[in-house]
Amino acid sequence: MIAAFLQGPLFRLIPVGIMLVALQRTLFVDLRPADVVVQVVLALAAAAGAGAGSERGALAGFVLGLLFDLGVGTPLGSSSVTMGLAGFTAGYVRSITIDPQWWLAALFTAIGAGVGELAIPVVRTFIGEIDPFDPRLRTIVPVVAAGAAVLSPAFVPLGRWCMRIKRVEWKAPAE
Amino acid sequence: MASYSSGRRRAIALLLLTSVLLLTLDLRGNAVFDAARSGFSEVLEPVEAAAEVVTRPVRQAWQGISDYDELEEENRRLQQALDAQRGAEITNLAFISEHQQLLELDNLPSLADIPSVVATVVGASPTNLDQVIEIDRGRRDGIDVGMAVVNEAGLVGKITEVSRDRARVMLVTDEDYTVQVKVLGLAPPATTTTTTPSTTTPGRGSSNAPTTTVPLPPPVIVPGSGPATATTTTTTTTTTTPVTTTTTAPPSSATPGSDGSAQASAPGSTDATTTTTTVPELRERETGELTGRGRANLPQVGLIADDPTVGLVTEGDVVVTAGGDLSLAPPGIPVGEVENVIRRSSSDGPLLEIALGADVARLYFVRVVIYQPNTEVAVPESDESSAAGDG
Repeated sequence: MIAAFLQGPLFRLIPVGIMLVALQRTLFVDLRPADVVVQVVLALAAAAGAGAGSERGALAGFVLGLLFDLGVGTPLGSSSVTMGLAGFTAGYVRSITIDPQWWLAALFTAIGAGVGELAIPVVRTFIGEIDPFDPRLRTIVPVVAAGAAVLSPAFVPLGRWCMRIKRVEWKAPAE
Repeated sequence: MASYSSGRRRAIALLLLTSVLLLTLDLRGNAVFDAARSGFSEVLEPVEAAAEVVTRPVRQAWQGISDYDELEEENRRLQQALDAQRGAEITNLAFISEHQQLLELDNLPSLADIPSVVATVVGASPTNLDQVIEIDRGRRDGIDVGMAVVNEAGLVGKITEVSRDRARVMLVTDEDYTVQVKVLGLAPPATTTTTTPSTTTPGRGSSNAPTTTVPLPPPVIVPGSGPATATTTTTTTTTTTPVTTTTTAPPSSATPGSDGSAQASAPGSTDATTTTTTVPELRERETGELTGRGRANLPQVGLIADDPTVGLVTEGDVVVTAGGDLSLAPPGIPVGEVENVIRRSSSDGPLLEIALGADVARLYFVRVVIYQPNTEVAVPESDESSAAGDG
């Protein structure tokens, strides 16, 4: 069981997630483009999906969401749903191509992060919050998506590394 | 597009169901989750401290770039506000002191009597929807869930989560925040005139000494600061207007001239300075419930009746916490002033939009009011058992 843990994705994902939650609570609460907090943990979840596929993206989003909920104090499981959805969506749209270029990966990450951010008020509606649809969502979602796209060149490889996925290497067939 | 085997679909469904299960358990209140959260905070604390140090140059550079113009503008605005308030401050302190003495005479509770803990804001909300901050004081300092948090300008929020050394504060602007408030209306100002004996100094003409006319904001007291350092929330325009002073020599020292009028006093003699102060009378209008509406919207007060017998609620009326046995905030904490009155049907009553006194977007230090209403104060076990026995 210990060997399975060590060889599985959690062994890498949890420390990386803790560091990102710490950065989210320190650096990224101050770096507010257009007065919006860039969601760095959500960006990693989406990037993991864009780099490693929808299933692993959903798993990474679930784990990162749990860490985020524990660290930030939001209801446990709420961010797991939204970040899981972000990872799944990014992985799902990635399936249109086999090995996306960096800019396509950035686009997929942005789509995943945008969907994840948009899902937050939906989840909050289900848990009984009154009117969680902030009018600023029209600004928040594009900025969060753009932030994730900017971070994706670093986060897609990081997501792959966390999920223990190696990038496909194309080789010319031997003659 | 990807096609999924039933095993993969099952795995994703399992993750979703697990999330929903966790969410349900957490919302119902679960000690295990609370302990996990507390433990995680302990783990995160050193990592966060390291991140704080490492990222400080980046943050400072960002702030330098993005906030410079805003800070300059704010400095100018604050300077104007400071100038305007300086004139009112001294007179306000006198009234606050008088107010305290009156409360003491009547054995009434006063905000200044309630102990409080000053805390530094160490974290802002890392999400875009929640309006929360984190402070560097916790259970060790006597802080508990539900306690009101204020700053010098008024109500800031309430404690929602406490660990040993940290606490999380839900801001007034959060959509889950509610507090009972009352609306105080300002009646037309009444002018009072006080005559204070003073001693003229040699070489200074007493006839040009100014008289100050100051329309006063309501005397509101920030807990723990006491009369000497109490500040006020200015809700009306404060102007200091120098006018001519009528300085007369008291009968004992005045030497009547041949025409019977008072003559200029001799150096070192005692004079009387007349100060005219305009004090608006506060009338309590209605109580209601204040609800936060997110960062972009002003909080609203609903559930109030617009009763013409106590006066219609108007823009500029002062809003303070109502207190009471069921309210977690003590009475009298300034919240803000009425910005807009949205008229609705008479059965619904008007809806008030409140401009908060405290700027919750920029908080550096706050004060936690160590106050629990009677209904929240834990009864000692011995008392409980005896009460049960009596019952």
